[in-house]
Amino acid sequence: MINKSLAALAGSVVLLTLAACGNEAATGGGAIPVEATDSACSVSTTTAKTGTVTFEVNNKGTQVTEFYFYAAGDRTIGEVENIAPGLTRQLTVQVPAAGTYQTACKPGMAGEGIRGDFQVTG
Amino acid sequence: MLFSSTLIGLREGLEAALVVSILVAFLVRTDRRHALRWVWLGVSVAAVLSVTVGAILTYSTAQLSFEQQELLGGTLSIVAVGFVTGMIFWMRKASRTIAAELRGKLSDALKVGPLAVLLLAFLAVGREGLETAVFFYAAVETAQGGTAEPLLGFGLGIVVAIALAYLLYRGAVRFDLGRFFTITGVLLVFVAAGVLAYGLHDLQEAGFLPGLRVLAFDTSAAIPEGSWYGTLLKGIFNYSQQTTVLQAVAWAAYVAVVLPLFLRPVRRPEESKPAEAVKESS
Repeated sequence: MINKSLAALAGSVVLLTLAACGNEAATGGGAIPVEATDSACSVSTTTAKTGTVTFEVNNKGTQVTEFYFYAAGDRTIGEVENIAPGLTRQLTVQVPAAGTYQTACKPGMAGEGIRGDFQVTG
Repeated sequence: MLFSSTLIGLREGLEAALVVSILVAFLVRTDRRHALRWVWLGVSVAAVLSVTVGAILTYSTAQLSFEQQELLGGTLSIVAVGFVTGMIFWMRKASRTIAAELRGKLSDALKVGPLAVLLLAFLAVGREGLETAVFFYAAVETAQGGTAEPLLGFGLGIVVAIALAYLLYRGAVRFDLGRFFTITGVLLVFVAAGVLAYGLHDLQEAGFLPGLRVLAFDTSAAIPEGSWYGTLLKGIFNYSQQTTVLQAVAWAAYVAVVLPLFLRPVRRPEESKPAEAVKESS
């Protein structure tokens, strides 16, 4: 029982530490606006430099959507889910290497999503 | 706009509310009202922690990376499965001692530690608490700059989830004790199996476990998660419209092991049901 409580305590501490000491996101006007609808996913700028990239996804559709950022081979770099209609949510990702990445909006939170290429340069 | 946010609130709140209401009903029915304060303490700590960390993530520059987020969600889920499974078997043991209760001996027939109660309540609420809190803040920010509908919808969804859980509690305190333990126990077996599958999916998404793209089935068309019935299924049983093979196998294995263990006949001193007596003699 003591072990269990220690585990939970440790879990709580980890939670707080992760939040407090996690990666620092770039602040300021660097966020890339993304307008998501039920049938489109328009990313206003599709190039960025390596490092921290922040997307600001505004759901103008009628369905709850998700926004993904993929590396080659559909490896998820970051994801923000539960973007209800009307909501704007941010996704901040760390992109260490230059290359071609993909963005995706998933209206209805299903399927492969509406994809678009995203170029990252060193 | 209102309705889809309501469904999110309902989905995020329902499972936690159901687990807590069954726990409360269990403690009330077995005359352990004194342990209720541990339930409320666990719920409060989880809520405060989620809301605090959610605020830090929203209003400061601190970020959780995708892997950290999924690892946290996955780990908390799998630990929660352990505790809910523990609860399932307390309930089984308690139903075994119904005869003892009649003689007023239940209190020493079964000991459930306050810490276990506290942690169970904490995990039930805390498991999805952070994601829910972050969504809440996004809705608050939208309410400040645009429309309050997502925020209102979300609040409504949480209220509906709590109301449904309260109805379950009211029903549970009226059922006879044996039926209460059997029905809610079976319900919890499926809830826990769903949480296990959900946790594994988080770990797959984070790349800690393989097979994210190896799907067992895809029912996005037949039962979309965005529909109200898909939401209820997801909210209670963590139904996932795209279930991986690993999730499906773990889910089936959990149910195949725990359900028969939970339902296996209880040997009582005065067995009155002939059907069970036959099963036991085989």
